[in-house]
Amino acid sequence: MEQSYWLLNVTLDDGFIFEDGKIIGTKTELYNLYINNGVIDTIQLAEIPIDSTKTSVHDAGNLLALPAFKEMHNHLDKTYLGLPWKSCIPAANLIERLNLEAKELAELASTGQHRAEQMLQLLLKGGATHVRTHVNIDPYIGLKNLEEIQKALETFEGKMTHEIVAFPQHGLLRTNSSSLMRQAMNEGATIVGGLDPGGVDLNIEASLHEMMDIAVEFNADIDIHIHDPGHLGFYTIQKLTSLIEDARWNNRVSLSHAFALGDVPIEKSREMASILANLGVSVMSTVPINRVMPPVDLLHDYGVHVALGCDGFYDSWSPYGTGDMLEKVGRLAERYKWIDEYSLSQSLQFITGGVKTLDKDGKRLWPNVGDEASMVLVEASCSAEAVARRVNRNAVISHGRLAYGGLVVESALK
Amino acid sequence: MIRLSKSYWLTNVRLENGFTYQENETINGTATQIYNVKVENGKIASIILKNEPITDGIPQHDVNGLLMIPSFKEMHIHIDKTYYGGPWKACMPAYNGVRTRIEEEQILLPQLLPTAKERAEKMLDLLLSYGSTHVRTHCNVDPVIGLKNLEATIEALEGYKDKLSYEIVAFPQHGLLRSNSVGLIKEAMRNGANFVGGVDPATIDENIERSLETIMDIAVESNAGIDVHLHDPDHLGLFTMQRLAALTEEAGWQGRVTVSHASGLADLSVVEATSIAERFAELGISITSTVPIFRTIPIPLLHEKGVKVELGNDSLTDHWSPFGMGDNLEKVGRLAERFRMIEEKSLANSLQFITGGKTPLNNKGEKVWPQIGDEANIVLVEASCSAEAVARRAKRAAVIFRGNIVSGSISTLETTNI
Repeated sequence: MEQSYWLLNVTLDDGFIFEDGKIIGTKTELYNLYINNGVIDTIQLAEIPIDSTKTSVHDAGNLLALPAFKEMHNHLDKTYLGLPWKSCIPAANLIERLNLEAKELAELASTGQHRAEQMLQLLLKGGATHVRTHVNIDPYIGLKNLEEIQKALETFEGKMTHEIVAFPQHGLLRTNSSSLMRQAMNEGATIVGGLDPGGVDLNIEASLHEMMDIAVEFNADIDIHIHDPGHLGFYTIQKLTSLIEDARWNNRVSLSHAFALGDVPIEKSREMASILANLGVSVMSTVPINRVMPPVDLLHDYGVHVALGCDGFYDSWSPYGTGDMLEKVGRLAERYKWIDEYSLSQSLQFITGGVKTLDKDGKRLWPNVGDEASMVLVEASCSAEAVARRVNRNAVISHGRLAYGGLVVESALK
Repeated sequence: MIRLSKSYWLTNVRLENGFTYQENETINGTATQIYNVKVENGKIASIILKNEPITDGIPQHDVNGLLMIPSFKEMHIHIDKTYYGGPWKACMPAYNGVRTRIEEEQILLPQLLPTAKERAEKMLDLLLSYGSTHVRTHCNVDPVIGLKNLEATIEALEGYKDKLSYEIVAFPQHGLLRSNSVGLIKEAMRNGANFVGGVDPATIDENIERSLETIMDIAVESNAGIDVHLHDPDHLGLFTMQRLAALTEEAGWQGRVTVSHASGLADLSVVEATSIAERFAELGISITSTVPIFRTIPIPLLHEKGVKVELGNDSLTDHWSPFGMGDNLEKVGRLAERFRMIEEKSLANSLQFITGGKTPLNNKGEKVWPQIGDEANIVLVEASCSAEAVARRAKRAAVIFRGNIVSGSISTLETTNI
């Protein structure tokens, strides 16, 4: 696709329809967008004539444009995608599961790039143009998975942007992985990961300090898996927030899973939500249905940035998962009974890095001139429908480039 | 629909043969083999290994190793009440719960009526495409719409009678007693409905005993089964279920009663849930669930106690809920995910919740489906085994009902289209 082109006949959410002060629907309009060097340069109503003599023209055929999706929690290195079917082996607890994984890591290592590419293709097809992946850094696999994942991500260069979390899956302290983690940070990982300082490392304070030290040393953000439940997880989060304050690591830390936030009494969830919001700590959720999840609605109300991910899927941990972020946010909406037009339309922000198409008065928030031209073209009448009905995706555009699907080229116009 | 000859062979069909085990006797996979399956008069007539010679001259259709599994049953849906196939419409917030929805229906039902049949048909097409060849639909019978939705429902279903089997529940959505719908329900039972429905005898009808007794009376009078919506929570739901069980026993209606949703079970202790489960098992009272994310009933416990549990989509976009995909394989995948069925055997077994109890392998790993004489109600899927089909929501290549292709296609099969 060319550097600059007109994208014609794009449907955009353009306002809400109100009746007796209540939102009953979404108003849309047909627009033409001029894309220049990966950026949206012009947005004008489709009825206004364009000068198509100097540039090429593509026709979106009235499809609705949504901001491109972000997959914010994945494990590209773990999936079985691309291999023959394999279900999970039963494990009585987390440590047993880790032992099973350790045995399998070497076996899977050589197909890392191939499997990760299958996953990336699936994510892209669903509309994600950004992926944050955790990659195992542990004594069993060393940096091998990191290398494989980097190769896979390179294949998708220009189609998907990425962040790589160095993830001490077998325990930062438990498996003495600090020096490996530092190596990973030198070798291209961009974020310092962590895992259950209580349940896995058996020393909450030391584990958190070590993680924070590495982050400060590499001037890197943090994304820590906290599965530890109830007040154990809550205490861990509390400890972490005080370290964040000490290190002034505001706006640089994510909590993945953070089940504990949903386990404790609601007053405590509220208290923590306001601390997290003040420190700019974000929460990544995979919207689990087999346990209590963090209260996404409450966290969001308090101003905590919440983003969704598919997690590692179809791997030794879980056989499910489709890699479809729109399905993921649909599940979130279903979980919180966001069934009306307004709630559905707003829910999109959990998979777009906070971008939504309309504010509460129906003022258009996206797209704007100057925005990155990353969008998904879908068969829907509005974004609320897109979320609820998990609509077909016809094309995914990443920084102006067609990354998946197809558009109609209107050469006749030239 | 692709009507095939009266008898034909499906060749290169993958069937499950048993589980595979690792050294310590943990199941780690499913063994399959390639067979040729003969279908005659809509039934499975012969199953032979691929390398055994076929000696007759009847048509052969190569399915190239696709896995054969029993077709699905959609056991709770409202095909008369959907926006599906029409323009998008979100729900309005319900300020007064179910009552808000019922109020909305005063205006909505007459509005939807002219396109009811068309929308029902689109929904049936969708269900078929995902592999369901049986549908139990609830159909509004209420003072607003009378029997008109029933007529549209029957008309739609009659057009599909060669593609799927069906049951119709006469559903007094606005309350059997609350909206004085007893006469209408009786009329519906005389005009094509097969099951007597009901909804929340406490919250909606405000008279548990009389509501349940009336349901039972109509069922006995029409010699029909019962399928009651019970959303009432915790002990209110439990109490209602206990009373329903007592009336079922009194009337001798064992094996003929279903409770839909049974939401109260989600709120009970294991001891309480166990006691009602045992009672239901004894009386053959089944439960249908939509596997809601938020308040899921303890399906594995019910199943373990011998209660027949089946699944349904309920709605696919209507004024109650904008969600729902119509895919029962997705539905059972959600069930499996919800209850952490992640290993081979539990995944394979879970299929029974959407097939009326059928699975290719039984609990011991013995091959039990298909059998000679079984109806040829089949889904051919792109999977290596049932466990994979459930976990990975396998693509469905073709759906066969009583020997005919009712959805999808296989290239070689298309050539015999008449």
